Amino acid sequence: MKIPISLQINGEMYQVQVPVQKTLLAVLREDLALTGTKNGCDSGECGACTVLMDGRPVNSCLILAVDAVGKQITTIEGIGGIAELDPIQEALVAHGAIQCGYCTPGLVMTAKALLDSNPHPTETEVREGIAGNLCRCTGYVKVVEAIMDVSRH
Amino acid sequence: MSYSVVGQSVPRVDAREKVSGSAIYTGDMVLPHMLVGKVLRSPHAHAKIISIDTSKARSLPGVKVVLTYEDTPKIPWNSAGFPPSPGAILVEDQYILSDKARYVGDGIAAVAAVDEDTAIRALDLIEIEYEVLPALMTLERAMAAEAHLIHDAEKNIYGHTPVVIGDVEAGFAAADYVFEDTYYVPKVNQVSMEPCGVALAAPDRDGRVTIWTSTQMPHLVRRITAHALGLNIGQVRIIKPPVGGAFGSRLGVVNEPIAALLALKAGKPVMLKYTREEAFLATESRHPISMTLKTGVKKDGTFTARQLTSYIDGGAYATHTPSFAGPVAGWFLAMYKSPNIKVDNYSIYTNATQCGAFRGYGNPQVVFAVESQMDDIARKLGIDPLEFRLKNHPCAGEVWLWSGWAIESCGLEECMAKGAKAIGWSEKRNEGAGGNSRVTTGAAGTKKRGLGMGYMMHVSGARPMLHETSAAIVKINEDGGANLIYSNSDCGQGSGTALTQIAAEELGIPYEDLVMTKTADTDVSGFDIGSHASRQVYSGGNAVKGAAAVAKQKLLAMAAEMLQTPAEELVVEEGQVWVSHDPSKTLSVAEVAHAAHFGSHGHQIIGAISEEPAGNPPVYAAQFAEVEVDTETGVVEVLKVVAAHDVGTAINPAAVEGQIQGAVQQGIGYALTEEYRCDLETGRPLNPNLADYKILTSVDMPPVETILVQAASETGPFGAKSVGESGLVATAAAIANAVYDAIGIRFKELPITPEKVLAALHERKES
Repeated sequence: MKIPISLQINGEMYQVQVPVQKTLLAVLREDLALTGTKNGCDSGECGACTVLMDGRPVNSCLILAVDAVGKQITTIEGIGGIAELDPIQEALVAHGAIQCGYCTPGLVMTAKALLDSNPHPTETEVREGIAGNLCRCTGYVKVVEAIMDVSRH
Repeated sequence: MSYSVVGQSVPRVDAREKVSGSAIYTGDMVLPHMLVGKVLRSPHAHAKIISIDTSKARSLPGVKVVLTYEDTPKIPWNSAGFPPSPGAILVEDQYILSDKARYVGDGIAAVAAVDEDTAIRALDLIEIEYEVLPALMTLERAMAAEAHLIHDAEKNIYGHTPVVIGDVEAGFAAADYVFEDTYYVPKVNQVSMEPCGVALAAPDRDGRVTIWTSTQMPHLVRRITAHALGLNIGQVRIIKPPVGGAFGSRLGVVNEPIAALLALKAGKPVMLKYTREEAFLATESRHPISMTLKTGVKKDGTFTARQLTSYIDGGAYATHTPSFAGPVAGWFLAMYKSPNIKVDNYSIYTNATQCGAFRGYGNPQVVFAVESQMDDIARKLGIDPLEFRLKNHPCAGEVWLWSGWAIESCGLEECMAKGAKAIGWSEKRNEGAGGNSRVTTGAAGTKKRGLGMGYMMHVSGARPMLHETSAAIVKINEDGGANLIYSNSDCGQGSGTALTQIAAEELGIPYEDLVMTKTADTDVSGFDIGSHASRQVYSGGNAVKGAAAVAKQKLLAMAAEMLQTPAEELVVEEGQVWVSHDPSKTLSVAEVAHAAHFGSHGHQIIGAISEEPAGNPPVYAAQFAEVEVDTETGVVEVLKVVAAHDVGTAINPAAVEGQIQGAVQQGIGYALTEEYRCDLETGRPLNPNLADYKILTSVDMPPVETILVQAASETGPFGAKSVGESGLVATAAAIANAVYDAIGIRFKELPITPEKVLAALHERKES
């Protein structure tokens, strides 16, 4: 059974008809063509689908779309386009912290939430902050360097 | 030698689109009228299919196609993506859907429906009667004389790769000591963050099919898919969008034939996207191998004989395995010099998911075994482990047994020296500090520290075993910029960026002015083997450099005409051409290119080449690990890894470091945490998910210090060699040797889990 809901995503309101069991991740990708948010496991284990819900990072594969009603959702598309990257994104580019790029959008969202709440974290705090975002390419070395670099400025 | 952009850590060409979420991966695509594909998988590891009834599934509204083995072409194929060269052994034992269940997850039927829910419901409506057979989950059971046969072959042992050099028995007789040990390495999964197995197939005009797929090998996937479908190669078009990591898992065909058959039957596009569980269940992982090493050595540390006998668990289908046995022998042969060497590698079918390529292609397995035993031998002989390796490994100018060719360059000694210094080898190592002085920490000295190292060498491509063909076209545009047309099989490693740097350097134009094809498209680019064997920068780089050189030659000929100066006297750099002895006589590349298009001529300056490189320069590394073993919990914590790698010229040093750092994460996982396990009675996987299959998170990763040694090759572009795979090859050996240094216990089976450590400590206490 589909029900009509309104979602506030990246500052815009979207009206969608969704089955009650459909996840926020599936609605973002399939109904709204916001495919920057990736699906790496569909079970909350990898963090590739991380979005911000009222400023906090969540696995969008574990959130039902109907439970996102009334929340402010921010996806990677709401962070910065190619021409105007967020400082976190600029740092990841400059440090060579991107390889396959599949975990990158989720990682950017988590790093954004981390630095918004704690602008000058220690390296341990950065590592703990992004521990839910699995990466198989970088060993996290340049990722951590990039986030630390942003936090110093 | 100074270069303008080679050697610079320029940002990746695709960094901004990836970091902004705007890069479109295969699974992000949508086509009009696109259907969703799903595969029905066997719940049994080994079973005959007595009957399949698909009538209920076919009549479900929204279901467009249901396929079983009966609907597939009866053409056997092999998913392995290696080139069909002389010497490659292709056992063709796969069909698009299986005629018999040979592992839990074997594809028995497939559907295409209007949406995912309908496709899943359709799978539930397919009724299958199985006759369950014994599940042969271990090498011992599969090799037993009375074992059921997994395929229509005489035995489940279906390959034997022998190598004999000299006479090992005479060598063992001449030895002062003979060491014999058996090592076992488990199955591990590549775990690319984009689950392996995503293809979108769409019917094209006149019976053609276009497949967008997350692959490492566009042209070979085209070849194998065409063969499996009974089509001509030109009827299949493969397009490779950005790939979310591969590490070997996409080396060859994954699910392209199923997606293509569904699309052709439906007459509509079909997206076939594997879940994370399916990526574990039904795609190729690293081979488990049981390896017995026998080594004869003199008191002075020279070898008299080296022997490897290995039993390779290839899983339910042959794929790479019989050919993979060749490199497994190669890694062993090439590491150390010995007058007498013998190798016997056996390929074995079991009822596990088929194995294939995973970063290193057998080398991490072999190096774990060899370097563990070398550590024991060096200790027994009282020889410094670094000296022992340097004394016995083949070096520049000597014959390298992997290829049979002379070694072009070797930076191992520098790797050893710099790595040892960085880890504190002479101060911290227990044996080095005079023995029995193990550093202990923890409340009651229960945590013990140790240092270990491992050496490795690896390839730059697979010549002469395989051909390493690449093709490149460089065309200079009328404004002086250029396009590089290349089958860009970058899966995240950064080869696309390095090749762009190579082309810009050779052509003499700014890096920003050169654009490379961001995808691979078999209708557009020339034949390229793809991303395997760490070959892209070396082999592809040579083709790209060659094409740029041809274009440059034509550019200079044109400029010579315009400047009325012989072409040999002209130089081109940073988009400017000038006369070497009179820099005031100059033209921009843009002026020359414009004149070519619209001035005195009417042509575009284009350089094109298809070739394979002249050599296969080995790369070397010494990796060092410091660990702390908690003797109360059994937990091994890696405190630091130093990875000193001779990569030849580093085209993009940051990207090279990134390759090593990421590989070390996989290497630590191989050593300590990763094992894809199944129930040994039923064959059911126990951990096909990222909660129970443990890859390292950001808090688990120790500091990694990378040291780049750049012993330039003779045959590589600007002296480049390779780096794609080598970063994890020696890691597990270094960690196992560090664990030995810490607690004096030798682990011959990976991963070294807390349970194994505690059991070993307990056993030692009891005895």
